[in-house]
Amino acid sequence: MPRFNALGFGFLAPALIVVALFFLAPVILTVFFAFTNMSTSTGITGGDYLLSQSDLRGVKASGVSDETYDALENAGYLVDDAGLARLAEARDQATADELAALHSGAKFDARRDMERALKDLRDNRIRSTRDRKALAELFKTSVMDERFGSEAAFRTALDGVGIPQADQDILVKEAYTGWVWTTENMKLLFSLDSSYRYAMNTVIYVTLTLGFNVGFGLFLAISTFYLSPGMAATFRTIWFLPRILPPVLYVLMWKWFTWDTGFLATITGYLGIAPRNWMLDTATNAWVVVILINGFVGASLGMILFSSAIKAIPSSMLYASEVDGANRWQQVRYIILPQLRWPILFTTSYQTLSLLTSFEYILLSTDGGPGRATEVWALAAYHTALNNYGGNLQYGFGAAYALILVIIGIAASLLYLRFFNFKELVTKPRIEG
Amino acid sequence: MTVSKFKGAFAALMLSAAAVPALAEDVNIVVWAGGSNDADAYRITAIELAADMLEREAAIEGRELNITVEGKRDFGGWEEFKQGVTLAAEAGTAPNIVVTSHLDIAPWSQAGYIVPTEDYLDFDAWPLNDIYPNLLEIAAYNGIQWGIPQDAESRPFFFWKDTMRGIGYSDADIAALPAKIEAGEYTLQNVLEDAKKAVEMGLVEEGYGFYPRPSNGPDYAQFYQSFGGVLQDPETGKLVLDKAAMEAFYQFFADAVDAGITRKNHLGTDWGQWYSEVANGKAATWHGGTWHYARYTGKEGNEDFFGTIEFGLIPAGNDNGRANTITHPLVYLVTDQQNDDHEDIAAQLVKIASEPRMNSLHAIQSAHLGISKQQSNIEIYSNDRWASEATERLLGTANAQPNNLDYGAFSEAMFKGLEAAWTGVKSPADAVTELESELTAKLGDNLIVK
Repeated sequence: MPRFNALGFGFLAPALIVVALFFLAPVILTVFFAFTNMSTSTGITGGDYLLSQSDLRGVKASGVSDETYDALENAGYLVDDAGLARLAEARDQATADELAALHSGAKFDARRDMERALKDLRDNRIRSTRDRKALAELFKTSVMDERFGSEAAFRTALDGVGIPQADQDILVKEAYTGWVWTTENMKLLFSLDSSYRYAMNTVIYVTLTLGFNVGFGLFLAISTFYLSPGMAATFRTIWFLPRILPPVLYVLMWKWFTWDTGFLATITGYLGIAPRNWMLDTATNAWVVVILINGFVGASLGMILFSSAIKAIPSSMLYASEVDGANRWQQVRYIILPQLRWPILFTTSYQTLSLLTSFEYILLSTDGGPGRATEVWALAAYHTALNNYGGNLQYGFGAAYALILVIIGIAASLLYLRFFNFKELVTKPRIEG
Repeated sequence: MTVSKFKGAFAALMLSAAAVPALAEDVNIVVWAGGSNDADAYRITAIELAADMLEREAAIEGRELNITVEGKRDFGGWEEFKQGVTLAAEAGTAPNIVVTSHLDIAPWSQAGYIVPTEDYLDFDAWPLNDIYPNLLEIAAYNGIQWGIPQDAESRPFFFWKDTMRGIGYSDADIAALPAKIEAGEYTLQNVLEDAKKAVEMGLVEEGYGFYPRPSNGPDYAQFYQSFGGVLQDPETGKLVLDKAAMEAFYQFFADAVDAGITRKNHLGTDWGQWYSEVANGKAATWHGGTWHYARYTGKEGNEDFFGTIEFGLIPAGNDNGRANTITHPLVYLVTDQQNDDHEDIAAQLVKIASEPRMNSLHAIQSAHLGISKQQSNIEIYSNDRWASEATERLLGTANAQPNNLDYGAFSEAMFKGLEAAWTGVKSPADAVTELESELTAKLGDNLIVK
């Protein structure tokens, strides 16, 4: 009789928390980000209302009335009665009177000019820069270059300078600095030629690396199986090194190996081949290196899984086959490989998923080069969302890249679960039923 | 503090000004400097010195002000620094002052991470009124003065004198090169020819005739300008893709590879290796930055810079273009904080750190150029041959990359196209075609294609 078991739940809780934090939350955030125009300039947590000079271009194209546009473009600082009254209230009447005598009715485009006008005061000097700046603001007639925290405050300010309601709606949209929901990312993604190239690169990368991983892992497992246990352990340890080396160090060693002054170029130099960078000279070079770098890491996992699976084969079967006169190849072909069917399927599916999203070794080695020849989908997502010399990171568009991977990953997982007949694997053993 | 809060904060300000509290005020000012190594230590130290000055000023006025400056410059790289600043700003824990590329002004001001320095500082008063106007312009965006230039630099073209002598230049010819470049008489085509000679005569190894910067950076926009490219339309503020100039620029690098004077796989060369090679004559020609002087003569051990290296503008590429150089000043920016008084103190510190004498410490130690006119009257600056010659020869014609929200995307795509043409993955024409479709899709209305 199934019943709620608090202890069991308690044991599971850490795993659930980890799954929620490191899997569910990122997936949900990716979906959410992918349908926004979020970038460095929009911020993540929301926005304000700000009309700046560069927004005016958009305003002009958006169909506001000419009066509104002029009001925005030409407004500035005006020394009028209302402003002078505010000055009298904030400071004193004498200051207001002196300013009126000097500049009454004057209009200034820039705040700096207004401040200069305030500097002209002689009898009532405003000595502190900060005070002078605050007082200059009392004469402002424009909503330009002011940041308003809420739409209501912005609309109030627009009312204050006499912008009609119809134009206000347009301006509110133009002035918002935060992110908005959009499907543009997806449209852009499917309209870019580069997307198709990255998709193709990803297919090449996953297929070839996977082939190498499984093939080489299998080769290592079978070949070490026939060695003496001590020797086998030594070889397996050596081939396990790529996985336990820190990636940065591992890739650095590959760089030393393939540089045009590196090991490989020196050796081939003796054979009369002109030295070249074997990692980045051509797209083919780059692919070979990328696949080997990833392949050796992946092969070690396959090797371990396959080795243990081979050990589980009853040795009597192998002895019997030898009695029947089977050679090594026939043993591999007819006994070992059929028994490895499930480990091979598992490794293939597991590694497909992990390769789809892995890009760290490519980032460290070729960084997608030469000329984006090895830029895979996940790397493009990283470059878009988190790497930009000019500073405006495209979080939303980068998430759109990542979302495609999430969708493919989930679809593939479901397919694999069905393929492996997961239900059957987790059914209760008959013996207890 | 933002402009809109001025009116609201006004009354409180007036009150506090009227009754100056005699309480001690402890302020912690955090400064983060991106892209800074040991030679750039004065980006932070100058703020510490300024804090001392501001404390003394406050003491004389009868206020006790204690400023603690916490500096940090050990970031993994520009990306890590920029991510750090933006995430901290989102979390409300941004450092008070950041030293960063002027290109960050557009996105960070739009996002509200930074506040205009003009909210706190009088640019008509000393020392800000002495800063070169074109540098101030680079630290402004949308007509607002967001930052203060922290240093200036520019990106010259270098020649190794011995190699130039080897291919037949006399000392007088070499000395005349900078002027010939500026006049457009010595172009990038001449660079190709001379570099090829140097390789063919065995003076430098193959691939070392012309040895460019190994990673993306503002430098490559210079070559686009050399062929007549314009980055931003001055009328509309839109970015400009000049297809002919872009293709000619890509073609130049493809030609350099074909001629064997530049390595096909040059991009991605280790910076350490690169510095050591160019500083010691392994390359015939290359391009870099004015701050390289410190590295060549310091860590790389070139003891006779002026005897071994000649420098000038990046030569023109063809008749459409011009000899040019890009200056990419770092700027001091003040971030948005809960407490406006801390923003004010941060702005005051940045102002004091921009005094000619203070800035000269950084300029000379890091081999950057000064930011203000009076620095030529500061002996440590005027006595430095590199600073004065480089200022004179380069800074006058220097322009900057535009502060524009889409410039990052533009610059990344331009570099990727260059990389494709350079490494032979695509022809220059195909690379430009792809660049056009990508930029049109991504930038839309903010791009002019011609």
